[in-house]
Amino acid sequence: MDFDYFSIEAILAENQKIQCTFKHAIPGMGHLGGGTERDIAMLSKIQIPMWLAYTVIYSDWADFNIPAAFGSKVRNALKAEACSVRLSGLVGAGGLWYGFGKTIMDILREEQANELSDMLTKAFRDRLVEVIDQAQHFAALGHASSGGGLSGNSAQSFREGLDTTERDLFSLAQESAKRTKNWYENNDSKRG
Amino acid sequence: MALPQTLRASVTPPELELVASQQLIEIIPMISMEKTAFISGAYGPLRPPNKAKIPLWMAVNLKMKKKCHIVAPDWLTADYLQERLNLETTDLSFSSLPFRFAEIAKVILDVASDDVENPDKIRSLLKDLREARQAKSREGLRTLDHSELTLSNLSSMEINEIRPYFIQSMSIMTQLVRNPAPDPLGHP
Repeated sequence: MDFDYFSIEAILAENQKIQCTFKHAIPGMGHLGGGTERDIAMLSKIQIPMWLAYTVIYSDWADFNIPAAFGSKVRNALKAEACSVRLSGLVGAGGLWYGFGKTIMDILREEQANELSDMLTKAFRDRLVEVIDQAQHFAALGHASSGGGLSGNSAQSFREGLDTTERDLFSLAQESAKRTKNWYENNDSKRG
Repeated sequence: MALPQTLRASVTPPELELVASQQLIEIIPMISMEKTAFISGAYGPLRPPNKAKIPLWMAVNLKMKKKCHIVAPDWLTADYLQERLNLETTDLSFSSLPFRFAEIAKVILDVASDDVENPDKIRSLLKDLREARQAKSREGLRTLDHSELTLSNLSSMEINEIRPYFIQSMSIMTQLVRNPAPDPLGHP
């Protein structure tokens, strides 16, 4: 998850929409919100994609609200039990909850940004062990991709709720565990 | 990059085994051989029944042809490993073992289990050790942060297994953590 110019993940993360409240009336730009009106009226609320929102917000044409995916409801749910929140469902296609959070964090003011950063870091750390545990469990089963129904319901729902970033980690850990396990168990290799 | 995805993050266990095979090990030869020059150095002479020190790969090769007995390193005994395992399960830190113990132990047990005392006991001890140590590296994951991680005495095979996802997790955390404002009291 690096935010390099060529990173597809960064592009996907920036494609999420964010709600902006315009401070000025802007004639002829109504199409930005996807609506049918021709102009943007003062104080109208419009969902615009993140990559566009940067310019609008930095130029002080609009204020924005922190998206619901990082709002107090999610925050409290994460505080209660990080592993039971389905992060992939919180953001749209691509499911880059951490990536989106990072882009939001970058445009927030100091204390709000710190708060968001704490929330993201804590959520990530709380979920990490579970991600790796499950990855190793699936590597041990041997036929990883087909083993959906084998563990409990909560484990399955956790897997389905993984954010794309966590999914990558899952497959890294699974691959590595599988390789090491194969080596330990394979004792007739090339010798002989 | 031309390398397949799985080879980018770390080396493979067989590659580590290859590296470990360069280490010297004692054998009791059953053939005699003059001192011979190899690319990595000159080994020999082999004079039965005197012990000689040669690289592990060569010992394996000779053993396969029944031309030597491998002398197990002093850490590859049931007693020593049992003591390590006791330490491992009582102490919070990793007990110290040779850096490439997993590879060397496996190679020797694979080709020369008849030269080792009590190979089955050793196998099961090694397995227990591996599991006990895995549980600890899992604890390490719990305390992971973006800047550093100290797990001393971790062996090469274990490092290699956890490397891909530890690195990835740490780089994600680096993205998520904001640089803290300098603390007025001077704490780091």
